[in-house]
Amino acid sequence: MNQPLITVEGLTKRFDVSRSFKDVFTGNHPQLQAVSDVDFTLAPGETLGIVGESGCGKTTLGRMLIKLISATEGKVMFDGKDISEMTRTEELEFRRRAQLVFQNPFDALNPHFTILRSLTEPLHNARVPREEHGQRIAEAMSMVHLPALEHFLQSFPHQLSGGQLQRVVLARALVLRPDFIVADEPVSMLDVSVRAGILNVLREVRDTMGLAAVFISHDLALVRYVCERTITMYLGAVVEDGPTAAIVENPLHPYTKALVQAVPIPRVDQSHAPLPITGGLPDARNPPSGCRFRDRCPLAEARCAAEIPRLREVGGGRRVACHLVEPA
Amino acid sequence: MLLEVRDLVIDYRATRGRVRAVDGVNFNVPAGAVVGVVGESGCGKTTAVRAITRVMPSSAVFAEGSITLEGEDIVQMSDREMRKHLWRDIAYVPQSAMNALDPVWRVGKQIEEVLVGRGGMTKKAARARSEELFAMVGLEAKRLRDYPHQFSGGMRQRASIALALALSPKLVIADEPVTALDVVIQRQVLDTFTELQKQLNLSVILVTHDISVVAYVCDYVVVMYAGKVVESGPVADVLDNPGHPYTMGLYNAFPELGGEDRELSPIEGSPPDLLNPPKGCRFRARCPFAIDACLQDPPEHTIGEGHVANCHRAGEAGELREIAKRTETWVGVTSE
Ligand SMILES: Nc1ncnc2c1ncn2[C@@H]1O[C@H](COP(=O)(O)OP(=O)(O)OP(=O)(O)O)[C@@H](O)[C@H]1O
Ligand SMILES: Nc1ncnc2c1ncn2[C@@H]1O[C@H](COP(=O)(O)OP(=O)(O)OP(=O)(O)O)[C@@H](O)[C@H]1O
Ligand SMILES: [Mg+2]
Ligand SMILES: [Mg+2]
Repeated sequence: MNQPLITVEGLTKRFDVSRSFKDVFTGNHPQLQAVSDVDFTLAPGETLGIVGESGCGKTTLGRMLIKLISATEGKVMFDGKDISEMTRTEELEFRRRAQLVFQNPFDALNPHFTILRSLTEPLHNARVPREEHGQRIAEAMSMVHLPALEHFLQSFPHQLSGGQLQRVVLARALVLRPDFIVADEPVSMLDVSVRAGILNVLREVRDTMGLAAVFISHDLALVRYVCERTITMYLGAVVEDGPTAAIVENPLHPYTKALVQAVPIPRVDQSHAPLPITGGLPDARNPPSGCRFRDRCPLAEARCAAEIPRLREVGGGRRVACHLVEPA
Repeated sequence: MLLEVRDLVIDYRATRGRVRAVDGVNFNVPAGAVVGVVGESGCGKTTAVRAITRVMPSSAVFAEGSITLEGEDIVQMSDREMRKHLWRDIAYVPQSAMNALDPVWRVGKQIEEVLVGRGGMTKKAARARSEELFAMVGLEAKRLRDYPHQFSGGMRQRASIALALALSPKLVIADEPVTALDVVIQRQVLDTFTELQKQLNLSVILVTHDISVVAYVCDYVVVMYAGKVVESGPVADVLDNPGHPYTMGLYNAFPELGGEDRELSPIEGSPPDLLNPPKGCRFRARCPFAIDACLQDPPEHTIGEGHVANCHRAGEAGELREIAKRTETWVGVTSE
């Protein structure tokens, strides 16, 4: 196998949360563990989907991967280097090679900048020689299937449709020819009719640019369309990791099972069987002991309350964190 | 028929001129049915369904048409008469559930307010009823004492559904009730609707942009495009045998979890500006099947029992469907 582009080890993020009167009185500083002890690797050119319930820590993880926020514990290695220990030059290079695509195209771009200016700015910041700008922009625009025409580049964000805007946001990430992008719900704000276009662009970029990508979404159907591999998160932790096709066909973790079963399909003849799980996401400030999923799990046993299940290899390139799944 | 919307036209007075957000819309809601309203952002879904409550922004104008609830025209009613129907017969869950609940009051208090103020219940009866309502939507009674911000997104959705059900209305209008939720919570909220529909013979109008959601819970579907209904009918008929090219295109734009890995095709271009809509079929510029006749207003074509498509070529829908399934059909269509 290739040397991984990204290696994540024990990555953890805790946020301070507001103190109640009692906390102030007792000198307590409550914290919320948004991401807990996450490990995985990403090969160059690999696309990884991250799925999970709202609030399970997907965005927080994505932001740590590109150093938008720092980790509380653990580390992210990019091309063999710890991203928290980079020199200024290394950091500048990292900022060029790793890009984020924001969720909401409607506020990702400065409304007072022309599209051209929004696309030039990153080139300028990365000190790309001015004479290359035109060609870089044309290249990025063609990748996202937008015309690099003068009148288009001179327009302002409010003059474009949601789908066009999201393409510009994507072009802005690609203009620096990155090796790695994190796309956080890149199509969730878009209409179904235009969403397919962006998903196709993401697929093409994956196949032609050899870009490593993390695609965050709570919609497994979208992830399946774009990513070869998928990670399921639950309450900050990775509970399952494996090839997307295998996960969709045969999910192993009880939470992933529910997730797969809950995705509606655009056909009337679909299963209405009750989901195996009930309840909502537990309070991240007081997660259950042992397995974090146990209070919603239909299979939970005494062991699940006592012992935190580790993410274990179960064969076929898959890992699962559940006491009840036997290794193959 | 519980509710009949006929030739409804609604304008907004805006600085740019009059925006005709809803332009001659027709649909029915049978008693005990779940009716889905789908369509692109800005096509007039919220405007059309909010009109049924008559709680509209002051810039909105009912220009034409009727909305008949059990034989009475809502459009013609006095405000006083209309107030009698709100909550009791028709309840509305707004597009963002955040707006349905007041952040400064405990959720239980807000439900009691409706029960006492609108329903004339005693405080004690209202408290018991609140607990019953929370149980119906799968929330614990003790959470009645919480403020909205202490609820997760899914819990807030359920609480606003409980609020809407307070006075046992016949019709609940829910505007995008699951759009912001993840699939597990979405499924739970949708199952809540189905259960209530069965238990209470409730009718529901559910606005969404997701045809999978429609396929999952709805009995009937109304597809809107640029202020007009382009197709409507029983869900199975519309989804299995779409008669309008826009509906066909929507289907191809959806990835399907269990299905084969087919290539998706976007519907290129964007809908027309409602300030100055083109004459004739409004989907024309994005339609791979447009012909000269499409410069004229499309006729209403009956495809099957209760299944109608507004398209000049609806008679050839069978053949068009096959062509529409090919990705290349949708490439490079936009003409304007
Ligand atoms: N800056 C912050 N301060 C305090 N808590 C935070 C902060 N950012 C996120 N959180 C909390 O961390 C947890 C994870 O949030 P995150 O945004 O990463 O979830 P997510 O999986 O991206 O959810 P969604 O699908 O809703 O976008 C949540 O409980 C959230 O409330
Ligand atoms: N108060 C208003 N004043 C002027 N125009 C309005 C007003 N509210 C809505 N519109 C316009 O009317 C049209 C229909 O809006 P509406 O909110 O009904 O659409 P929608 O289908 O619900 O969209 P979405 O899916 O984004 O919620 C849009 O073009 C919108 O810009
Ligand atoms: Mg997020
Ligand atoms: Mg709306």
